[in-house]
Amino acid sequence: MNIKFRVLPIIALAMALLFAPRVQAEQPAAAPAVAPAAVASSAAATINIDKTSLNDGGDITVSGKAPAGSQVYVEVFSSDKKVRANRFDGKKDEKTGKIPYKFYITTDMPAFYKILVPKEMAGEFDKAKAAGKDWKYSEVLKKMGADAAYSAPAKIKIDNYQATIMASIIGSRGTLLPQMDEKATKSESMKLVKGRFRSPGKLLGANVEIQPDGTYTAKLNLPPSQAPGKYNVIVTAVTERIKEGDKETVKKVKSEVVSFDNKISFPTMYLNNAGTSINLLWPFLLCLVISIFGILMGAGGGFILNPILVTLFPLPHTIVAGTVMPTVLFAQATGIMNYNKVKFINWKLGIGIGCAMLVGGFIGPKLTEMITLDQFKFLFGWVLLVLAALMFWQTTPGYLANNKKEQAILKEFKKRAEAAVKAKG
Amino acid sequence: MKVDFWGQEFEVNMFVGCIGGFLIAIMSSMFGFGGGPFMVPLMTVALRLPMYIVVGSSLLAIFFNTAMGTARHMQFGNFDLVLFLAMFPAAIIGGYIGPMIAKKVSPTVVKRVACAGLLLLGLNLLGVY
Repeated sequence: MNIKFRVLPIIALAMALLFAPRVQAEQPAAAPAVAPAAVASSAAATINIDKTSLNDGGDITVSGKAPAGSQVYVEVFSSDKKVRANRFDGKKDEKTGKIPYKFYITTDMPAFYKILVPKEMAGEFDKAKAAGKDWKYSEVLKKMGADAAYSAPAKIKIDNYQATIMASIIGSRGTLLPQMDEKATKSESMKLVKGRFRSPGKLLGANVEIQPDGTYTAKLNLPPSQAPGKYNVIVTAVTERIKEGDKETVKKVKSEVVSFDNKISFPTMYLNNAGTSINLLWPFLLCLVISIFGILMGAGGGFILNPILVTLFPLPHTIVAGTVMPTVLFAQATGIMNYNKVKFINWKLGIGIGCAMLVGGFIGPKLTEMITLDQFKFLFGWVLLVLAALMFWQTTPGYLANNKKEQAILKEFKKRAEAAVKAKG
Repeated sequence: MKVDFWGQEFEVNMFVGCIGGFLIAIMSSMFGFGGGPFMVPLMTVALRLPMYIVVGSSLLAIFFNTAMGTARHMQFGNFDLVLFLAMFPAAIIGGYIGPMIAKKVSPTVVKRVACAGLLLLGLNLLGVY
């Protein structure tokens, strides 16, 4: 018995000595991330990306190890390109029955923002997609548990204004209210994020695959036409959710921040105000074709160009309206000069109506800022239908017959006018 | 208001003209287009002016709107220089090519094409298809 007891520990020790190096040797090969295993299991989450540079979008694989059994969320955002986002709150508050008339604006919105959630949340993601444009970002985040990972836009500086109908009419944003507290800022930032990026597919993705031991991989797809520059990736691992009544305490660990670079090259360029990159050849060609067509039709082309630009490109409607307008300014000025040469402008009439239009032009751009893209599209849709009706009316036989006479008189007058100019000169 | 044009006198209802112009200006500056296709019918139909006085004068009226709208859009930071520089040359080139083709195509055909195009575009924006 004595001998047995003496031998056993020796055998055990021998076995340990024999097997231990092997086990140690096997570990790094099987899972390289396990090296700081002790740390990972207790607190931290590790993160790795397979590329540090992209060429106008592409795929990046994010992998690493989180504490076993945790939910892993990957937050990606453009870190050095910020854009403007604004929202007008004109919806009746159901509790008080009052319309808030508040205007929120920020210039710190990341140009790209996305949260990847565990694959198991795909059901919630599909539901959000099915809800159409009325989906609620904050609710979806909560259901997916992804509000724990929502960090980059949560603390952006948001200015809020108390607007009034009168102030809006004269085109002011209203009076600046004091800064909102942290909670209100976070909640408003979600609304601004939703207004800026619009669709669930742009803001969320359900493709993080997590193994029971906590290792995870996620494929991050950066679509083309995004902002160039540095992008940050952070992983949030939720280890525990404790529910006490309505309150939920979330225990989470965050990984360190890794970044990659998105490169774009000419003719694709970044539009600072729009927050997206765009291949400039497309707007050039579109504008060329439409302005030729517009001249044939006897009108500008803005009402065709604008809807095409907002539907085909990820451009905000404010930028489209604000940028197309100046392009016709020059054409109009040359037109006026040409007509003026042959004395074909009645200044009294033109300036008289022009003054009324001046006031209208003062108000319009303010309204562009106050409406959402969907409202913009809806209203523009009706405007276009009215225009189509006007165009149709101009091709009816009655109008054409009348127009022929008018055009004949117009030509006659022009001839006389030109002759008069020549006679003088 | 009485308007004198090339020896002929016209009676213009400025009230209708100004209200109409005001509304058209709000709409066109809001959506960022000129407003010509609305102004010409307003002046010919509602104000009963002949075409030859309308073409030049409506352009002048619209210019006021475009200039003001441009300034306000710039004030609100809705103007993107890069996009503008991509489209502006195209608009100028189009302005030269357009009149060259204009004599060869019938305006009626162009308007029918435009009518169909606008209808499709409008329905698309309204989410019908």
